[in-house]
Amino acid sequence: MVGLFDRAFKGSDEMYALAEKALAEALATHDESTPAVFPNTAYYAACIYEYTGIKVMTLGDLKSAMEPIRAMMTRNYRTHDVFTSGIATAMAAEVIELCKYLDTDTPYNGEYHGHMNDAEVRELGVPLVTRDIPGFVVIIGPAPSEEEAEALIKGYQSRGIFVFLIGGIIDQAKNRKLSMGFPVRIVPVGPDIWCASHIISLVMRAAMIFGAIGPNQYDEMNKYTFERIFAFVNAFDPVDDLTIACGACAIALGFPVITNDTKDMWRVPKTLIIQEDTKDWIETSLEARDIKIKVTNIDIPVSYSSAFEGEIIRRPDMQVEIDGSRKDCFELCITKEAHEVEDHKIEVIGPDFDEIPVGSKMCAAIIAEVAGKSMQSDFESVFERKFHTFVNCMEGIMHTGQRDLIRIRVSKNAYEAGFRIRHIGEVLYAKLKNEYAAVIDKCQVKIYTSTDELHDLRKMANEIYDKRDERLAGLTDENVDQFYTCILCQSFSPSHVCIVTPERLGLCGAVSWLDAKATNELDANGPSQVVTKERVIDENVGSWEDVNEAVAKYSRGALERVTLYSIMEDPMTSCGCFECICGIEPFSNGVIIVNREHTGMTPLGMTFSEMASMTGGGVQTPGFMGHGKHFIASKKFMKAEGGVARIVWMPKALKETVRDRLNATAMELYGIENFCDMIGDEESCGNGDPEELVNFLSETGHPALAMDPMM
Amino acid sequence: MDVNYFTTVERMEEVSNRLLETAKQIGIDTWEDRKKNQTPSCMFGEGGVCCRICSMGPCRITPKAPKGICGATADTIAGRNYLRMVAAGAATHSDHGREICRVLYNADPNGSYKITDVAKLEKIAHEWGIETEGRDIYEVAREVAYTGLMEYGKPFGKLNFLERANDERKKVWAEQDVEPGAVDKEVVKAMHMTHMGNTADAEALVHQGLRTGMSDGWGGSMMGTEFSDVLFGTPMPRDTEAFFGVLDKEMVNIIVHGHDPAMSEMIVQATEDRDLQEYARSVGAKGINVCGLCCTANEVAMRHGVKMVGNFLQQEKALLTGVIEMMVVDVQCIFPALGPLSECFHTHFITTSPIARIPGSRYVPFNTAEAREQGRTLVREAIDNFKNRDETKIYVPEDKQQANVGYSCEAIRKCLDGVTNSHLDERDTYKPLIDCIKAGVIRGAVAMVGCNNPKVRPDYAHIEIMKKLLKNDIIIVVSGCSAQAAAKYGLMDKRAKDYCGAGLKRVCELVGIPPVLHMGSCVDISRMMLLATGIAKDWGIDVPQVPVVGCAPEWMSEKAVSIANYVVTTGIDTYLGVSPQVSGSAQMMELITEGTRKMVGGGFIINTNHEELVDAMIDGIEKKRAALGI
Repeated sequence: MVGLFDRAFKGSDEMYALAEKALAEALATHDESTPAVFPNTAYYAACIYEYTGIKVMTLGDLKSAMEPIRAMMTRNYRTHDVFTSGIATAMAAEVIELCKYLDTDTPYNGEYHGHMNDAEVRELGVPLVTRDIPGFVVIIGPAPSEEEAEALIKGYQSRGIFVFLIGGIIDQAKNRKLSMGFPVRIVPVGPDIWCASHIISLVMRAAMIFGAIGPNQYDEMNKYTFERIFAFVNAFDPVDDLTIACGACAIALGFPVITNDTKDMWRVPKTLIIQEDTKDWIETSLEARDIKIKVTNIDIPVSYSSAFEGEIIRRPDMQVEIDGSRKDCFELCITKEAHEVEDHKIEVIGPDFDEIPVGSKMCAAIIAEVAGKSMQSDFESVFERKFHTFVNCMEGIMHTGQRDLIRIRVSKNAYEAGFRIRHIGEVLYAKLKNEYAAVIDKCQVKIYTSTDELHDLRKMANEIYDKRDERLAGLTDENVDQFYTCILCQSFSPSHVCIVTPERLGLCGAVSWLDAKATNELDANGPSQVVTKERVIDENVGSWEDVNEAVAKYSRGALERVTLYSIMEDPMTSCGCFECICGIEPFSNGVIIVNREHTGMTPLGMTFSEMASMTGGGVQTPGFMGHGKHFIASKKFMKAEGGVARIVWMPKALKETVRDRLNATAMELYGIENFCDMIGDEESCGNGDPEELVNFLSETGHPALAMDPMM
Repeated sequence: MDVNYFTTVERMEEVSNRLLETAKQIGIDTWEDRKKNQTPSCMFGEGGVCCRICSMGPCRITPKAPKGICGATADTIAGRNYLRMVAAGAATHSDHGREICRVLYNADPNGSYKITDVAKLEKIAHEWGIETEGRDIYEVAREVAYTGLMEYGKPFGKLNFLERANDERKKVWAEQDVEPGAVDKEVVKAMHMTHMGNTADAEALVHQGLRTGMSDGWGGSMMGTEFSDVLFGTPMPRDTEAFFGVLDKEMVNIIVHGHDPAMSEMIVQATEDRDLQEYARSVGAKGINVCGLCCTANEVAMRHGVKMVGNFLQQEKALLTGVIEMMVVDVQCIFPALGPLSECFHTHFITTSPIARIPGSRYVPFNTAEAREQGRTLVREAIDNFKNRDETKIYVPEDKQQANVGYSCEAIRKCLDGVTNSHLDERDTYKPLIDCIKAGVIRGAVAMVGCNNPKVRPDYAHIEIMKKLLKNDIIIVVSGCSAQAAAKYGLMDKRAKDYCGAGLKRVCELVGIPPVLHMGSCVDISRMMLLATGIAKDWGIDVPQVPVVGCAPEWMSEKAVSIANYVVTTGIDTYLGVSPQVSGSAQMMELITEGTRKMVGGGFIINTNHEELVDAMIDGIEKKRAALGI
């Protein structure tokens, strides 16, 4: 086998010899003062300008560049030499091309594009920088067949990838009547490999224009292109030494080369990739250059918008219902290894809506399998919780619940518009990939709808849910090293900062510690920042120096300190989107809790909204505090004041929601059975009469009555 | 690209000299003074031709007296002395491994030591044919540990871990009869062979050296490494810092020093206890700062990111900073000089192992059952000692470097997974690395190991060799004092990629690693054997063919001699910057350089000029490449 370096060196020598020949021919018919410039560029021959500093204006200048080019073609068996030889190859190719422009601005007569002017560089450069164009490919052909050439080009085009063509593939594209040109993002550059210099020239100019890279900045240029220009090469078999030498230039700049040639070809991970299955080139290439395509169009027959989130589908309008309360249903997000996931594969196993009688219930398991280098299993439940919103935003589809208690209704209108179960997969795919691009590299969705399999699958899912619950239950404020801030609400309430801990979720009820952790890892500069807890001040009331510093920093000085477990001493502030408010009830030594949904009066003589007006806005009001529902049963709830035993009144509906967990907490903390029965509500002791409440509490033997006064 | 953040060896020396001023002030000697007093060293000892094996002598070989009283020649005497060094080194590593086996045997879900890496334990159990299905993991651990302990004394058969080798290696080992039996047996046999009136044939002595070394590398050391991973976790990449600047004047500073991680793990755990942290604050300290020295540092840095003060020849200087409340040592490489030196400061010097009892220290015998509480007690005592510092003797250098450490074989494969393509490649292999080597992007790999030795300008040879290798696209794995040299200099900072040749630089960028990979302490050279074996297996060739060599430019201990023996037996050429003490025998010099290569495919290349040594290594790697046609 001929070595890779030998091939690159040989190809580089060949290109140099061709450049010498082209230059000699030009000099035979022109004198050295003949202008030698590409049209409409301020960057001379950009490759030569960047790497040698020579501003080629005349044929004589071009001649003087030959020696510096040769000097870069060093021959030690080291990657450095291969890189510089590759770059010198591109410069030699630029010499060949420039010689064609001596007598004309249009040597290719419109048949090929050739040189790209500065306006075109800017036109491509801007979307490349903004990532509106996720990257560009240089295809060096011909492909094995015209059909395959077309499929490859169109495949890239449909993903928004800009396509440059060199060699035989251009004729193949023409034969398939593909429309080409800058506006459609398919550019036939030229017939020969040395035309690749036009693309390298474009890259040089993009870096000089957008990256402020100057001439003679070898390291800076290569760093810029490696980190910021998402290009790659597809080279069809046979790949000759000249192409290898040009490939060395691409690789020096950070652009991987994908080929199906196996003869004397060497694999280098993420750099030189042999993929014999040319039909898999697009996905292989995108992964090699770490390009993730944003899904802009969701392929569904109904509209998609957050406006449909609250849409209700009534039974008579319903085509079919996936109902977890009656049938085996569940939704699940799980992590897989990258090779186990085929991106954008949507699989439906079992009958579709067509096969279900109108208005009836069906079973379904919706499983999103995701893979990613930065994926963590802790994120699974975070993503899974989002299924609700994702599915709900479809017009004519209603989603409620989570896990194995989901209900999805599909309206007759949606069904008639062509909506089928696989479209749920399309939506999940598109939304997961877009919203969590930082961690999800690949995603596939499997939807099972046949009764036979579902029973076992549901058991499997329940085991996973149990494991997650176990992990969540095992998380306490003590056994984690850090808390997180959440400042999502600062657009409404600029001085409010939530501190999210395992046992105290955000007051809106939507941000658990794991959510905040995921948010932090998905966006390091985002709303959730790490708060260490190394310097404890008082663990009983939940105060740490680190936490106070974080609160001061993120409230921009509005707050100096908070406690996490007290409502009397520096309680945590509220933005206004709290699920519940608790407030001190002086007659019983306790607190009442009222939830947002409860419109009636409370024993404090105030409604929820009246209490909210004195609690929100990021101010500390000792004795009042906004919080999430889940926090009510936490062992950290008002821990400083004695814990949940202080709760003397809640609306009945709220009490039912938290009953099991609150009873368990009271049992664990105080050994009290059925604690919730001791708590008053709007039925057991009327509305707004503290005396009646105290009587009720005495009857039930509520522990708060015997506790120390809070004030 | 310019790299300008390194801490140069000159700067390290400047800092050392400032600390030596304190020693001078106090009037205490350091190794620099003692080295002067010991120079010139005994030429008979240097050449290995002084025989003290029986009391007829000592006999020394000179041109006029070419034989000892019993008739032993220079070859016999140098050969016996050499084998005794191997035996001592193997005994040392292996006894460390045995201690870890004992800790594993006593692991208890409610005790001080728990199982951390269950998967690794199960993997070893499967290799050794121990049932895991449906069994309590602690019961499995006990059986694995018991089987491990029996490896030290089993009457028949060869060591279990030899099965991990590639087939070609196993064949060579069988043919050359270098497969060790029980660990203790090989050491005892070496001692027996070298007794007065036994083996006089240098070749037989060298041959037993290979076997004895193997009982270390593929026996005691490998168990030490693997079971430490089971107990304390298999290292994964994490960040730490290195050099004297990691000491913090405002904190209670505790140094753990030695090799065995069992006790230091407990110290590290104790420093994380909230009540002790509070206690430290209550005495006016900012907190507790536990740092490591020597290989104990490597162990706890790899697993917890504990900061690394420095390597072997800096142990006295660490105390000379005047801010060390306590130094807790376990075994190996601990200067007796620390005893009198610690008495010049407020520092408590605590020995914990019956293997290393040192005058001037307080002996707190380590005990598995109570280790957690012992750790807490020691930390509390260190905190109590914070107030006793002598302000007039304090100098804490500020220099330190970032280091990304924790590259176990498992971690390396996981990093390599990051550059695979899910449409093409297998995961959890060394193939991405092999492809880079085949294509020439990386020329090969060097395992840099070993100690510091006052015969060589400390760290200078390590660093200069590494720098030249990096420039030549040769990736480096390191352990022991060599690792610390790299960390202190800044070569484990990911930014060090910019110092490398273009190929290695690109690989570091794509894989997200520093160019020098920290594989652990000196027992962890067993990891390097598994790395080389794994590469050979994934490549489909034998270890001596792989463009990988070993290098110990500043070695000094008997352990290093044992290591060198198992490394060459594994098929890896080993480049030494300090000559083994056999130069008084031409036959021995021939045997350890060319002789072993004929037997097992690897031998020593000795050159005390580090510039010539690194050129020889690059040349050796290129020759291996040429032989493979790449």
